[in-house]
Amino acid sequence: MILQTLFLGFFGVAAVWFGVVVFRTSSMVRSALALLFSQAAIGAMFLAMQAEFLGVLQIMMMATEMSIMAIFMVMYMMDPGGLGEMEMSHQKRISIAAGVLGTLAAVGVALLADWGTVAAAPPAAEQTERLGTEMLGRSMLVFETAGVTILTAMVAATAVAIEGRGAGVSE
Amino acid sequence: MTTLAVLLMLLAGAYLVAVLEGWSATGRFRPAGPALSAIALLGRESIVPRKPDRIFFEVAPVLLLVSTMLAAAVLPLGPSLVIADMATGALFLNAALAYVMVALVMAGWGPDSAYAMVAGWRFLGQLVGYSMPIVMAIVGVAMRAESLQNTAIVESQAVVPNALYQPAGFVVFFLAAMCLAFLPPFDLPTAPGELAGGVESEYAGARLAVMRLGRMVLVVTLSAAVTVFYLGGWYGPVLPGWAWSAAKMLAVAAAMLAAGRYVPRLREAHLLAWWWKLGIPLALFNIFYVGVLLLVVR
Repeated sequence: MILQTLFLGFFGVAAVWFGVVVFRTSSMVRSALALLFSQAAIGAMFLAMQAEFLGVLQIMMMATEMSIMAIFMVMYMMDPGGLGEMEMSHQKRISIAAGVLGTLAAVGVALLADWGTVAAAPPAAEQTERLGTEMLGRSMLVFETAGVTILTAMVAATAVAIEGRGAGVSE
Repeated sequence: MTTLAVLLMLLAGAYLVAVLEGWSATGRFRPAGPALSAIALLGRESIVPRKPDRIFFEVAPVLLLVSTMLAAAVLPLGPSLVIADMATGALFLNAALAYVMVALVMAGWGPDSAYAMVAGWRFLGQLVGYSMPIVMAIVGVAMRAESLQNTAIVESQAVVPNALYQPAGFVVFFLAAMCLAFLPPFDLPTAPGELAGGVESEYAGARLAVMRLGRMVLVVTLSAAVTVFYLGGWYGPVLPGWAWSAAKMLAVAAAMLAAGRYVPRLREAHLLAWWWKLGIPLALFNIFYVGVLLLVVR
């Protein structure tokens, strides 16, 4: 239990630290990869909390997502390498206010909520099974709606991006 | 004890695969070759290029090695010869191997060099091709075992291995694994003769040695993954389980290396087109096919 708390704290601090690095660097790629490791640390926190499937899923998804985000930022930004000392933050006052409020709200929920007695985590295989049953039952509509929406957006984005047949060089 | 045994098997496997790779690339069989090149690499100066991203440059080779070793830790080489038999092992394998791509992108961006950077992003493009089919193929395997635990997956193949039960999934996984290990003809991120070594081009000395070791362990890990998921793992007559695992892994690695010797390197656009137009539909068909076998035929 003590070891679990220690690991949870360690990865929590790591997640926050990498989150800070996101804004302290001037390079888009460094920023994206710092975000990647911040999210991976949150995945490790899930593992420390014995939510094995969620932790592994988080660690897997974030590696791909953040790297793909990095290449998109390289494509669209004027200074991806940060050689021109690019500033990563904007709208500073509002951001600081939002950050402070968010932290206070999170700490408030953590301290003030009545957590009751926390039940011991079921074995990992059972968690996976329960998650699957949940996703194919009550939550199916939510996930399917989100999935189809994203797919529609992807198809639409591709349709907008490709040139008409014969208009340009295909491939 | 188990950890030590698995690590020794990985190292021995990495060495043998390095010998095989030298054989397939040069046509000469030199059993001492990898040892000699390791000594040569460790003796050489490990040059740091001008104005590197130092953190990325230093972390990338280590991350490559660590992520592949983590992936190997969940693969059983015998009934009890597994470091961590996780309940979500088949998924964890993918999670760990996703960081191979992160390591290569870091190795590409870090040294501040054009060839390396092109190569690093190329591998990210390659990932867009192979990452969906590899997970979909594993879904078919997990469906039959009704578990994501790798020992359960092997036990589900006690009679018929998955390579025969779901051949389409086997082909998809095998090719995707070759893409993941950037073996020829999918060696876009290293591309000798075109990108001057790509992600490896700016590395020298000890750092390059770590990177090469990581790559070899990656090939061994993926051979082990093919063995566990599709070839019935440790099952086989007469010989003990670990020997069957080792023999199957070597055969898979040899097949992967041999395939690359006779096929020219694919272009990125063609690779993506093949994966998305043929690979993903095939992987989806495999899921459907396994579902029919499980629910209707049995």
